[in-house]
Amino acid sequence: MTTAMIILVLLAGAYAVAVLEGWATNGRFQPAGPVLDAVAMLGRESVVTRSSDRIFFEVGPVLLLISALLAAAVLPLAPGLIITDLATGALFVNAALAYVMVALLMAGWGPDGVYAMVGGWRFLGQLVGYSMLIVMPLTAVAMRAESLFTTRIVESQGAMWNVIFQPMGFILFFLAALAVCFLPPFDLPTAPGELAGGVMAEYTGARLAIMRLARAVLVVTLAVTVTVFYMGGWLGPVLPPWAWTLGKSLLVAAAMLFVGRFIPRIREEHLLQWFWKFGIPLALLNILYVGIVLLVVDS
Amino acid sequence: MLQTIFVGLFGIAAIWFGVVVFTTSSMVRSALALLFSQAAVGAMFLAMQTEFLGVLQIMMMGTEMSIMAIFMVMYMMDPGGLMGMDMTHQKRISQVAGVLGALVVVGIVFLVGWGSIAGSVPPDQQVHGLGIELMERSMLIFETAGITILTAMIATIAVALERRQ
Repeated sequence: MTTAMIILVLLAGAYAVAVLEGWATNGRFQPAGPVLDAVAMLGRESVVTRSSDRIFFEVGPVLLLISALLAAAVLPLAPGLIITDLATGALFVNAALAYVMVALLMAGWGPDGVYAMVGGWRFLGQLVGYSMLIVMPLTAVAMRAESLFTTRIVESQGAMWNVIFQPMGFILFFLAALAVCFLPPFDLPTAPGELAGGVMAEYTGARLAIMRLARAVLVVTLAVTVTVFYMGGWLGPVLPPWAWTLGKSLLVAAAMLFVGRFIPRIREEHLLQWFWKFGIPLALLNILYVGIVLLVVDS
Repeated sequence: MLQTIFVGLFGIAAIWFGVVVFTTSSMVRSALALLFSQAAVGAMFLAMQTEFLGVLQIMMMGTEMSIMAIFMVMYMMDPGGLMGMDMTHQKRISQVAGVLGALVVVGIVFLVGWGSIAGSVPPDQQVHGLGIELMERSMLIFETAGITILTAMIATIAVALERRQ
């Protein structure tokens, strides 16, 4: 029951994200846009390219969807409204998100197309850049909660949300979240206008529909992740807890979609340089800062 | 009972993906088959209630094996396996060694007295216990390993860098 409800919420969120993304990229607010797009995509022929690696080609989009759903399985929408509350929840989110890269690698290699393959390998490089900026800010979050349970991480923010307690960690994690969802300015694997869609270039019809649905679910999952780890999750006055999680997550998703509109796409080597030379030292500083505050100030 | 079935299923999946690693001629398929073989081992850990170990295994193998895939593509002459390249050699010796090795392992499993099985520990206590272990008894080992790996990484990069004019 809980599982079905959470999946429904995720799908509704994915729909909202699709509307928002259309608004952010075309400048037009079309509430029925995703339905029309889906009908159009499902009506089209789903072409399989010549000498494709058929297994990877078929599995890629599905694995992308599964990894986004698995990450969402350990995120609480309200007290008790969680699919499974793992003792290693914060680590599990990261483990599930690692397979986003595997899925894009498969989708890139599968169709035997140049643009797709370049896009797929690019995302592997992107992961080398962003993965530390997922794990290290999460370490500081877990330090404060003294637990990897996602529910306890939310409860630890009762006095002050992590976005205020550790703003540097929030900024780094938010940027890494943009990179995981390959949203602009980190849309290197799809790169419209340069790679002609990259990993999505060779997908058509129903397969493309799954791919785009998976990407939208991924954005929702990351928005909920940011909400749970930094924005106090379900905490808030008056409204019921689930409403707070949903409201905050939608705001975060909107921020994720609109921020990149005003920044040019970052080149692969610049992305790696910035993430490694600035991101990782800042993330280490963040851990040190949080540790000092927790040990000295709070006690 | 259910636990045994799942451990067995994931174990068979791990072996099957392991076989695929050597039977496919595509480098990327080979690397990703190894990935899923290791992920199946992670799932076995989960089925055996060692949650932290399982999640860690699944996470680490996802990234490591994919990075290995790109190196295999870079260095092999036929990464897609479209030219029917055969990488196997000394087949008879390998087969004999493989079968003998498997028999030895199976023998060890059944013939060794494993003693009493440790009682199950709740997952959150496992995480806590592991943290204490890393910060107390095993700290020196892990710090030494970490510094050694870091030194190796820096040395590798230094060797690989082009000399500046």
